[in-house]
Amino acid sequence: MKNEENLAYFLNEAKTIKPRELGKKLRVAFLASSTINGFEETMRVKCFQKGIDCITYVADYNQYNQEILNEDSELYKFKPDITFLILDVRHILGDLFFSWHTVPHDEKPKFIETKISEIKKLCDTFEKNSNSKLIVTSLEIPSYSSYGINEPREIRGIKEIVHEINNELFMTFGKVYSSPKIFIYDFNGFVMKFGEKNIFNYKQFFSGDIKISTEYIPKFINELMGYVYAITGTIKKCIVLDLDNTLWGGVIGEDGFDNIKLGDNPIGRSFVEFQKRLLALNQRGIILAVNSKNNLDDAMEVIQKHPNMILREDDFACVKINWDDKVTNLQKIAEELNIGLDSMVFFDDDPINQEYVRESLPEVLVVDLPKDSSQYSQIITEMKEFDVLGITEEDTKRSDMYLGQKKRKELENKVGDFNEFLKQMNIEVSVQKADSFSIPRISQLILKTNQFNLTTKRYQHEEVSKFSSSDEKIVECVKVNDKFGDSGIAGTYIIEKKNNEEWIIDTFLLSCRIIGRGIEEIMMNGIVEEAKLSGIKRIKGEFIPTGKNKPAENFYEKLGFKKENEFWVFNTDDTIKKPEHIKVIKNE
Amino acid sequence: MSEKLYQIISRVFNVDKSIINDETTSENLEEWDSFNFYVLLDEIENEYDIKFDLDETLDIKKIGDIKKIFVKHGVKAE
Repeated sequence: MKNEENLAYFLNEAKTIKPRELGKKLRVAFLASSTINGFEETMRVKCFQKGIDCITYVADYNQYNQEILNEDSELYKFKPDITFLILDVRHILGDLFFSWHTVPHDEKPKFIETKISEIKKLCDTFEKNSNSKLIVTSLEIPSYSSYGINEPREIRGIKEIVHEINNELFMTFGKVYSSPKIFIYDFNGFVMKFGEKNIFNYKQFFSGDIKISTEYIPKFINELMGYVYAITGTIKKCIVLDLDNTLWGGVIGEDGFDNIKLGDNPIGRSFVEFQKRLLALNQRGIILAVNSKNNLDDAMEVIQKHPNMILREDDFACVKINWDDKVTNLQKIAEELNIGLDSMVFFDDDPINQEYVRESLPEVLVVDLPKDSSQYSQIITEMKEFDVLGITEEDTKRSDMYLGQKKRKELENKVGDFNEFLKQMNIEVSVQKADSFSIPRISQLILKTNQFNLTTKRYQHEEVSKFSSSDEKIVECVKVNDKFGDSGIAGTYIIEKKNNEEWIIDTFLLSCRIIGRGIEEIMMNGIVEEAKLSGIKRIKGEFIPTGKNKPAENFYEKLGFKKENEFWVFNTDDTIKKPEHIKVIKNE
Repeated sequence: MSEKLYQIISRVFNVDKSIINDETTSENLEEWDSFNFYVLLDEIENEYDIKFDLDETLDIKKIGDIKKIFVKHGVKAE
């Protein structure tokens, strides 16, 4: 194990790091029924390494009930953004962990019901008292059963009932109610991955009530980091891949089409499996790109024709196969896909390339890919940077959208004249009020959009919900499609109705994929029209520079807003010219 | 056997190796606390491929005590 993965490393680092003014701040609370020393230290260090200033609160040992049920508790005063409630099966079951076999069958359902309702009550109370996300760990299904080999023959054996409790929690907070604030972490999955004998160290348990052994604490916190990335919007959107010895074994330019390793041999299988994992991420909304030094024709022949290739040309949003250097290519990919370098992950087997990119483009996450290709699949599975709290329809369609984007680019190049190109695109825009279907995507856009974003205010799902049902705010979104496909919800704005004369633009943003096609004008035009109908005289907006939102910098001025102090002001006697190439569909 | 052991201790407690000796205790070494002691034991077990008995770990008051356990477990000097 590398020293940087050791708990000792995290404990010592935690003493030296100090909050910087990094912009991203996060308050994390931990509640548990056992000793959790080392948890907050590891999380602070991991956050620090990702540019997040993390402040933590750790509730006293086994005080989680009081902390949650008492609305004046230190927990609520701390005002966490994320709260982890770490439950464990021994604590929940108490002595029944050892004597479940003594419980009569007809009393079992009542016991299960009680346990579930206790956990639900905690969640409900927390939800009422705090704006924090709450992550509750599911229970580990114990390998031990007091029924011995008869466990599987028993009605409601111990494993079955723990499973039942877990399932009920998953159903309640995920599948049925789809809570925007409460998430159940699959702790049993974690134990399955690393094994109960590794995670549960009897000596540490007897000595200090440690229920996740010190060796596995960093691995456990790494799992929880998935929530941190998703909630802070630190997620990665694009995987950039080398080809030779990254997507297949061998070098196409030397070994040739028939001799590269992809498929029916041990090395070849490892690459096929890796590609399958990549495809799954792609289908979940992570875009893929190629960055390879090769003859274009040689490499494309494999991508198009190799029988065991899983990823095909259409799965890549951008392909750079040439003899340029890797850094130049990465910059071009970022530019063409219109995404930040900091949302890209780079996979390349060559340590020299890894180092070169790491040094030249520190924003890019360069994966420390070892020589052994059998480890690739595991490495990508362990990465938590791709997790989002809820997968939206747009995520699953993203790959198609980028394919559409490629085709649009082709048309643009063919037509030459930009205005003519826009006309040929048949763009349709529909403006809609936020509703329960669109709010997950709207809040995702609010958390993720960096470039065309006038204020870069970040709101979580439940805040957007609150705004949308408030009389003082307008929350609307735009759906965009054209002849190359549906881009889904690609822009949104929040208006604050300040008084009878004035509206304020609180948030106004557009997905980077569709900037510059007149959609932003349509959106602002819609706001102005709506304001006029409500008798509003002035619309005021602010531009808050972030270092990333330069594309939106001159937007107000271009539309005829006048600068007054820090605000841009639009008089509703004026109008904003509506781009003629766009068909607007009004949904009421 | 001291060299490698001291190295591990120095890394886990994040102190200079030169200040560690067999008489080092949690009283005279501020960086030694009850929790990172578990981390230390775990690292030593992994490094030397041995398993301490629970009572052995409870008897460790100073670094020299770890060496006594090594002798019991037949860990060879390096």
